[in-house]
Amino acid sequence: MKRLVNILILVISLLQLPGCHEQPDWKNDPYGNFDALWTILDEHYCFFAYKNVDWQEVRNRYRSKIHKDITTHELFDLCSDMLKELQDGHTNLISSFDVSRYWIWEKYPINYDERLIDEHYLHFDYRKASGIKYQILSNHFAYMYYGDFSTGIGDGNLDVILNDIAPSDGLIIDVRNNGGGYLTNVETLVARFIDQRIYAGSIQHKNGTGHNDFSEPFDYHIDPAKGRVHYNKPIVVLTNRGSFSATNNFVSIMKSLPNVTVVGDVTGGGCGLPFNSELPNGWSVRFSAAPITGPDGKLTEFGVEPDVKVDMAPNDISNGHDTILDYAFEILKQAK
Amino acid sequence: MTSKVYIRLLFCMLLWAWGCQCAMAQDNSDEKPLRPVATMFSAQYGHASILDSYLSPVKYGGKAMALNYEAQQATGFAPQQWTRQLSLGVDYDYTHNKAGNHSMHALLINAQWGLMHKWNHVFTRGLQFQLGGNTQLRGGALYNAYNSNNVVSARIFWNVGLMGQAIFNTHIKRLPITLRYQASMPVAGVFFSPDYDEAYYEIYLGNHDNLAHFGWWGNRFDLDHMLSADLHLGNTILRIAYRNRISSSWINHISTRDMAHYLVIGIGGEFLNIGAKRNKKLNNNIISSIYQ
Repeated sequence: MKRLVNILILVISLLQLPGCHEQPDWKNDPYGNFDALWTILDEHYCFFAYKNVDWQEVRNRYRSKIHKDITTHELFDLCSDMLKELQDGHTNLISSFDVSRYWIWEKYPINYDERLIDEHYLHFDYRKASGIKYQILSNHFAYMYYGDFSTGIGDGNLDVILNDIAPSDGLIIDVRNNGGGYLTNVETLVARFIDQRIYAGSIQHKNGTGHNDFSEPFDYHIDPAKGRVHYNKPIVVLTNRGSFSATNNFVSIMKSLPNVTVVGDVTGGGCGLPFNSELPNGWSVRFSAAPITGPDGKLTEFGVEPDVKVDMAPNDISNGHDTILDYAFEILKQAK
Repeated sequence: MTSKVYIRLLFCMLLWAWGCQCAMAQDNSDEKPLRPVATMFSAQYGHASILDSYLSPVKYGGKAMALNYEAQQATGFAPQQWTRQLSLGVDYDYTHNKAGNHSMHALLINAQWGLMHKWNHVFTRGLQFQLGGNTQLRGGALYNAYNSNNVVSARIFWNVGLMGQAIFNTHIKRLPITLRYQASMPVAGVFFSPDYDEAYYEIYLGNHDNLAHFGWWGNRFDLDHMLSADLHLGNTILRIAYRNRISSSWINHISTRDMAHYLVIGIGGEFLNIGAKRNKKLNNNIISSIYQ
């Protein structure tokens, strides 16, 4: 009988093991929601060390500002300010009434005017497929504008586009104001401009709750699109501060190709793959969780430097000229 | 030979095999007992609560729905002592966070096969115990539409475990009724989990390290159990039951805890195959796996 009791105790103890992991149950009050937000970032955010942020000090500074009469909007603003300490465009607090943001491009020249290009370069005469606006211009250079990496790119559509622009002497890929989207679309697009496998960078992920708990970097590559139409003439990629996230990744990879020149402004950065989480009151938080390097092995969280830094000149704009695009033409002319 | 000849040959072989099967069944009819299959189709509805820290640190709650098919039969060998059970099911949960502004879907498919030893008339007439082992494959995914790169949490789990049931066949006035408690509890197996903050995109890129894990009571606990009353209405059996499903895991600092309570309504019966039905006229001994 005693043995049976011992066995029962052992079995019951074993069954308790999976329940040992304490999952915090934050209260749905200002302190509970603040603590939830801080802890989620503390355990999952991937750039504390890279950005040299003392997150504990940040907590102490902001938590002391909470009081029992704080309104929902005041709490949101306080939490938003705390997140801005991370200087990360991928880190947002999302409520039913606002989205907090650290969008660096809001502080820099726009360096892009869609209407100007449509009117003075494309003359409102262009084709559009898979979210890509394209045309061969009168100077025999092809122009492609891709404004959103969330828009899926069909391989068949790309074949048609690249066939149409095949007679051109060079290609301009304009990704200004492209705020990112799916990294799989980056692969799909890059695969048309390479003729051999290329090293595209590496990805890591957090494997624990500590600020420095990371997996080994995993190298990844992009292969040329087999049996598909390719474009291998000189290419210029146009960028501005609004070229963010997946677009930032696209630019860092394209920049490593020998026939590609990047012209414009520094990109907006955002090299951390974002995850989402949520607070007890239903607010969502998005944050960088997995750092991705470019082909040069460096993090591009603060942007990719262009090969040639060019800003749009106000005089050019008033005369119907895009300074960055005009500079791209000069580069392609020299490459002919 | 032409294809027509092949087809005829194949047809003849199938006919011969079927004939042999019938002949064997008839030859052994006075030796082998008949083993009807107790089948049950059930629809289940109730409440689910889900926690998956890969998707959210907040617990979700909502509706739980399930469909299940269960077949149980005495084994061909030692049919008085052994019974086997096959169970196929699909569980779907539609849940919300406490704030009510985010939803999560969970869809899991389950296949389970078990073998149990029977002890008849334990303590009292009509009470039967069955205890044995089973193997289970369970797979599906949780989907939190509001997330970005952690939008899905895949669940794949293969295990071996314990299963058992206590069955009591009785009557309420003239209505035969079977009361049953059955439980299934995995002991060890293999299950899938990404690393702590590993995106499925990284897995798609080819990083397959540390995805498969040995499961035991130290890192996961699952229990599926049901208390049922089967009402024998002629040849039809109506099941009314309560089912509880618990699943919990702790791996790579990812915590999952799912629980669902169901009200179960099922319909079924005991069926013999065509050959066995013919033999039934010969007054063979019939061994039921559950009912007496």
